[in-house]
Amino acid sequence: MSTKYRVLIVDDEPDVLLSLRVILEAAGFEPSLAADGETALRRIDEQPLDVVLLDIMMPVLDGWFVLAELQGRAVRPQVIVCSAKTADADRERALNLGAAAYVTKPYSPDDLIAKIHTVLAQGQAHVTV
Amino acid sequence: MDQLPGEINQRIKREARVAGISRRKAPSIEVIEQRRMQLWILTVLVVVALAAASALASWAGPESSLGAGQWILRSAVALLGIGFVAYAVEKELHLHRLLRLLTDERVLNAAYSQSLDMNRALSAAGKALNSALELDEVLDAILASASQLLSARSGSVMLLEDDDYLRVVAVRGGHLFRDARVRVGESVAGRVAETRAPLLVNGDAVDLGLRDGSAGGGEDGSAMSVPLVNRGQLLGVLNVRAAGSVQFDDYDLQTLSLFAEPVAAAIAKAGLYAAEKAHVVELVESDRMKSQFVASVSHELRTPLTSIRGAVAATRLVDDPAQRSELLDVIERQSVRLQGMVEEILASARMERESNDAPVMLRKVDLASLVRLAALDAHLAGRPVTVDAPAVCEVRADSEGLRRVVGNLIENAHKYGSIPVTVTLECDAEHVMLSVLDSGPGVPVAERARIFERFYRTDPNGVQPGLGLGLSIVRGVVESSGGSVYVEDAPGGGAAFRVVLHTPVDDRREEAHVN
Repeated sequence: MSTKYRVLIVDDEPDVLLSLRVILEAAGFEPSLAADGETALRRIDEQPLDVVLLDIMMPVLDGWFVLAELQGRAVRPQVIVCSAKTADADRERALNLGAAAYVTKPYSPDDLIAKIHTVLAQGQAHVTV
Repeated sequence: MDQLPGEINQRIKREARVAGISRRKAPSIEVIEQRRMQLWILTVLVVVALAAASALASWAGPESSLGAGQWILRSAVALLGIGFVAYAVEKELHLHRLLRLLTDERVLNAAYSQSLDMNRALSAAGKALNSALELDEVLDAILASASQLLSARSGSVMLLEDDDYLRVVAVRGGHLFRDARVRVGESVAGRVAETRAPLLVNGDAVDLGLRDGSAGGGEDGSAMSVPLVNRGQLLGVLNVRAAGSVQFDDYDLQTLSLFAEPVAAAIAKAGLYAAEKAHVVELVESDRMKSQFVASVSHELRTPLTSIRGAVAATRLVDDPAQRSELLDVIERQSVRLQGMVEEILASARMERESNDAPVMLRKVDLASLVRLAALDAHLAGRPVTVDAPAVCEVRADSEGLRRVVGNLIENAHKYGSIPVTVTLECDAEHVMLSVLDSGPGVPVAERARIFERFYRTDPNGVQPGLGLGLSIVRGVVESSGGSVYVEDAPGGGAAFRVVLHTPVDDRREEAHVN
């Protein structure tokens, strides 16, 4: 029996959370959900995670804050930023803050799954779409 | 005095030669005076000597016994005397003429020198004015140049405001304050502005009832005011006051009037520069807001598309009918959201086009039933609204646009304010006021005009979705219906968006076309 990778989906859009949960479950991952940055950091503290799918524009604490917070930690999950922000500056900023990959919305669910596998396989390597 | 200095010099040299003054350079007035004195002393001495000689000849014997020789001697002495006096008179005439010419020359030289100084100072002032573009710098240059030009102690520039007032915009020395106002027609400066004629006041301001400070700060002494006119348009007044007991004269007034021409041109140019600069700032801001709008559109369209793509993929993966139904709801909800955004963009584009050339069709619309329908839609979309409206309340408006106005204001109240949200309608014979009140933080005073601008967002990087079009559409629809919209604090806190529309006057005007 193989261990399921644990993926935290962080997005303030409930509809995105709902769809991604179904897709990731079907793809063999063990998803958990957070609707803002504060909840995401709490979830990361509570349980060991392999990958975090992180939105940027969120209430309470945004994705930038979460990235900066995780950057200082010795043990941290791989972060794939999933954002509707398409500017190169945002992509660069995310990678500089330690994100393993940057995926722009709207993404193909299949591509996202492939990206998660790539990131898991490459460890800390930075992969961009 | 109308001779040229060169001509006068030639005449001076000629007269000097005739007068017996042989110097290469033209003689000075002092030398001429000396010569005249010498001439008259000599003349007196000669006359006295000749008179003495004549008396000596008479003493030699009685008259009856005078011989022919004596007669000849006396006649010769008399003739010599007459001849010398004639010579002296002739010399005196030349010397006198020479003296007058030299005086003229001095006066002319002084006038030319003064004129040269004035031209030099005007040219320097012109350069100083041309080197500045900002109004404050131009005004400083004006007063510095005017002070230098006329050795003035103080000065001020007043600019015309609302056609009826002059406002002090620059002060140098004196006791005037910036922003002080003088009514046109009153006081020295006001009178100059009214008549557009320069005015010189030499200590008689009290007698003329003009001592009010406008020309020089309520002080005694000599002061001048000149109008600043550019291309026939009065811009303001330039005032200067002389230092101490110095009194300005007509020549100074003429100088200041000449100076006023480039001053007016420089002020007009600074005004144009400021207007251009403001226009550029406006264009840059408009460009920035458009770029931000493009970024917002990109972001806002991508978000529901992400949900739709995800939900479609997920629907294919699940078998449970309840879960499938939930995912189909996601697709429907996000499609509606997408449609709303597209319609908003199209409405904004259409509104811009219509405001330019196409007229808007105004009809009689029952705003009360429209509000109730909008409230029902809002409830279904999870945005509860309380309605306080009469059974019927008719307005003259673009009905389709008005539906969007009510919907946008309710959505806005939920997005940026908080519940409870109330919509009220107040109707009288001529006007109808639609109010949408929320219980949020309200709109800061500084933002109240700007929130109705196209693409403007109070929090461009915030988490609230939006394109910055909603309220601009509201304003566009309301204004094209001849109404107005504004925001204020709601009683008890929150924002109150108020829309004022006209009631239909009569049936004939139901389908009035308004540009």
